[in-house]
Amino acid sequence: MIVTEALGKNYQGIIALEGLDLHIRPGEIFGLLGPNGAGKTTTIKILTTLARPTRGRAWINDFDVVRQPLQVKRLIGVCPQEINLDKELSAYENLRIYGQLYRVPDLRTRIRELLELGDQSQRAASLVREFSGGMQRRLLILRALMSRPRVLFLDEPTVGLDPQVRRQLWDLIRHLQAQGITILITTHYIEEAEMLCDRVGILSRGHLIALDTPNALTARVGGYVVESLNGVRRQYILVRDKAAAYAQAQNEPSGVIIRQANLEDVFIKLTGERLQH
Amino acid sequence: MNWYPIFLREILLFRRRLLRLGYVVSAMFAPLLYLLAFGLGLGKRVTIPGVSYLDYLLPGLIAMSSMTNSYTWVANGLTVGRLHFRTFQIYIQAPVTPAAIVWGQVLAGMARGLFASLIILGLGLLLGSGLKLNGVFILVLLLNCMVFAAFGVVVGMKSRSHEDTATFTNFFILPMAFFCGTFFPVEEMPWVLRGIIHILPLTHTNRLLRSPTWSAASLGSLALLGAFGIACMVLGTIIIRRYSE
Repeated sequence: MIVTEALGKNYQGIIALEGLDLHIRPGEIFGLLGPNGAGKTTTIKILTTLARPTRGRAWINDFDVVRQPLQVKRLIGVCPQEINLDKELSAYENLRIYGQLYRVPDLRTRIRELLELGDQSQRAASLVREFSGGMQRRLLILRALMSRPRVLFLDEPTVGLDPQVRRQLWDLIRHLQAQGITILITTHYIEEAEMLCDRVGILSRGHLIALDTPNALTARVGGYVVESLNGVRRQYILVRDKAAAYAQAQNEPSGVIIRQANLEDVFIKLTGERLQH
Repeated sequence: MNWYPIFLREILLFRRRLLRLGYVVSAMFAPLLYLLAFGLGLGKRVTIPGVSYLDYLLPGLIAMSSMTNSYTWVANGLTVGRLHFRTFQIYIQAPVTPAAIVWGQVLAGMARGLFASLIILGLGLLLGSGLKLNGVFILVLLLNCMVFAAFGVVVGMKSRSHEDTATFTNFFILPMAFFCGTFFPVEEMPWVLRGIIHILPLTHTNRLLRSPTWSAASLGSLALLGAFGIACMVLGTIIIRRYSE
């Protein structure tokens, strides 16, 4: 469904993305995980025709994103990182304009369906600037669904939202997957990648450094982590299982925490850096 | 060509802003000020052969208002929408052609320019101007709005900041407003400047609005305005086609 081959992008000589090879299957939720500046948004920009790659190629459903942009645009829905709704217009007007851009048939019915899906029917006539951050995010996702896309790009869809709203959006994203939509999501939230994604690609400084299911990735570094205080710095020791974790904990002087490994531990193991600061 | 949603968005935003009184006043303030200060105040001491100063000034102010409103709305809207609100990116990611984006923006800019012109025209008529409207006048007004809305697309797409747009405005739009025959005949300018002034589009709009008749000279001016408009629209389309972040 989404294929990239040695995809790369430079910005004024600086490498933002290098040698990205992906093969995302139909109906999959695929996560791109990485810190700010890792190349996640650049990848989405290229795949959604907003940026031209410096190197390599990419296809959505066999359509080349550079050579066949109109065909690609008809297949995809995009929820950008920034809330680029017209805040001076109502929710209905925002959806109406978007629907007309995509020449959506029977637009009124489609808008009604989307507002019901997002539980926003009562606020259709309200100006978007009167919406909470969570409601605006939800409307942004609804807008991306307007053309019934087969591939949905969600760029940091839950950034800045409180945990409760974040979980509501996860439910919506799972609901979309159940309808057969392929979803590429970028995030720097560990929990989001672990809870939502079938597979995760970890990006660091423009390079894909790991790609697998969340479980397989954490299994690679060991199942458990022993955290302890080494002076003022926390140190993380990855071990195979719980028994090994208890054994390791005996050797640590203070502040010991034993927990299951997560994708952040994978990132630390692979790069020596933390994912979330 | 699916230009309508782009036009519709701009018009909906325009309508929403029109409801704010301060917004309308600020948009119309400069031409109204000129009309009152020059037309009624200074105009009593100025003589233009064969016509009252108010009748001389009014077509110039209509040309100037249509230029600034068509241009400013499009140029600022695109700059801010592209760099700040990122609403322009919706168009690039949607299955619409670059030409449709340009047409939608230009038509919306024209609508705004016409709206501003009508207010000036109405006020001028209320103040006693004997300005006569005909088909050529309306055609030229539409063409002038088109030229400057299309120029606004080019500026809005090339600006790298809001300050860039202001720079374009200060170097291109503001001098045209003062030197292209809005307030006094171009013939009164030094001959060195006249050569430059004669190739600027607003000079031809002013000339045509003051003498809205079919003649060889007016056809030449119409052709020049048309060429400016088409050139800006083609350039805008090329810039949008090459757009990449």
